[in-house]
Amino acid sequence: MSLLHAEYLKLSRRRLYYMMVIILAALVGLLAFFLLIFAQIAPELAEGVPVLEKPMAYIFGAQQVAGQTWFPLILAVVMLGSEFGSTVWATALTRDPRRVNQISARFVVLALASLLAIGAGIAGWSIVTAIAVPGEGGPGVDEWLGLVWKVGLIELAWTAIGLGAVALLRSVGPAIGAALALYFIDPILGLWGPWETVSLSAATTSLFQIDFAGGFGVTFMSNLSLPHAVAVILGWTAVGLFLTWWGLHRRDA
Amino acid sequence: MNLTDPAIEIEGLVKRYKSTTALAGLDCVVPSGAITGLLGPNGAGKTTLFRSLLGLTRTDAGRILVLDQEIPRGLVGVTKKIGAIIEEPGLIRALTGRVNLHVAADQLGFGHERIDELLEFVGLQGDAGRKVDEYSKGMRQRLALAAALIGDPQLLLLDEPLDGLDPAGQMAFRARLREIADSGQTVVVSSHDLADIEALADYVVVLNHGKLVTEGPLEDMLSGGFTRVVTDNSDAALAALSTAGIDARQDGGALVVEEEDGSRVVRVLAEAGIYPKEVGPARSTLESVFLGMTGEDDQ
Repeated sequence: MSLLHAEYLKLSRRRLYYMMVIILAALVGLLAFFLLIFAQIAPELAEGVPVLEKPMAYIFGAQQVAGQTWFPLILAVVMLGSEFGSTVWATALTRDPRRVNQISARFVVLALASLLAIGAGIAGWSIVTAIAVPGEGGPGVDEWLGLVWKVGLIELAWTAIGLGAVALLRSVGPAIGAALALYFIDPILGLWGPWETVSLSAATTSLFQIDFAGGFGVTFMSNLSLPHAVAVILGWTAVGLFLTWWGLHRRDA
Repeated sequence: MNLTDPAIEIEGLVKRYKSTTALAGLDCVVPSGAITGLLGPNGAGKTTLFRSLLGLTRTDAGRILVLDQEIPRGLVGVTKKIGAIIEEPGLIRALTGRVNLHVAADQLGFGHERIDELLEFVGLQGDAGRKVDEYSKGMRQRLALAAALIGDPQLLLLDEPLDGLDPAGQMAFRARLREIADSGQTVVVSSHDLADIEALADYVVVLNHGKLVTEGPLEDMLSGGFTRVVTDNSDAALAALSTAGIDARQDGGALVVEEEDGSRVVRVLAEAGIYPKEVGPARSTLESVFLGMTGEDDQ
């Protein structure tokens, strides 16, 4: 517990997290404006942009916000990466040499912090939807609870990938580059059938079980069953955590 | 100083980095309850030794016992008894001094009760709310010392802690370390600066090229078994001593005689009709001892 508290202090007492939350809020605000409001107030300018209605707008928004996976990725890379530039990581090991404990504490706190930020983004989107979007109804309690664990899973995976990238590369810039390469290449590879079965993007999209193809004229990947999608996301999480452990163990040894 | 129950015992320690051998079969002990100076030129293996003691690097051969625990096997059981500063203070610059100490206490699994006391001990109570980024190097070193002391450790390992401090900062830091050692804790300080170690240490371990050059109490090392003699006629005294088979050399206005038994020196000189004005043990400097043993002429 005390290691978790140490990580909480490290995250909550510096500006990085709050700056990232502000950037996320700005992005979600822009998305909400263009996807929920713009087509209503300027239909002639928003030709081709579908007018979303309740209740689908809620889940669509949740998926859009949860898709901001740069947030857990960059948070994890910068938080752990900043410890390698000095002797902060080595000093932490002199206080508790169990690398698994050190990694676990960072993983849990960073994933929870990302979940909190993304959750706030979804809440903001939902408020806008409730006020400004036409239609009736919304997700029930069980659907909102379902969203929490689905978003939580996504945050776990991208946090683990961020930690793994920086543990292997030991430098913030290259680690962000490598992780963002996965972020952009994985959806493209997902168009190829064999890769789709292990694609993180396909699994993430599949979690929400929404068929967007008609609305946007784009074929989104949502062909995986829910258990399959969960297994793929947990698999990527495990890969990220293993790479984190291995990267740190290899270098420190 | 307790050599019968040393805080650290090292036998045949070897660490290689690809083609470089950082530790080449090192054997040494660190007595408990004293300040030990780990001395050696850059690249002698001091930092590698510290990292090995803390399990931060895997050694290739040899045995390490720290506080009776074999390292790395017994590391988890012993780390809470060790405070350490490795290479540079492991502080998070974006956080305040006080929050850094909270983080250190949490990582150790200790409470926060000692934080105010430690801030006062290192003279930072007035700056505890400032970000470490705004601290001077001396302040960062003192905060790192407070962080290392947070668990009230039995053993303190400090890698080049005085490096880069101004003379006043060095003096303040040395005073703190002396207080810590006087309270019964064991302190190991590495340095390539001979004056630091001479001013601070009770016991000295000298490394070079990853091997032990010498170790022992500082006083023994500096007394060196020589006798210092002052006479009116140095040339005649040198000749008399030489005739008796005793080596001696001029050192300022005195002679340094390579003979520990001062009475023998006096007898030889008296037989030659030379009566010394002063006779006593010659105290060499750590610099001369170090240079003599390591053959380093760039220190």
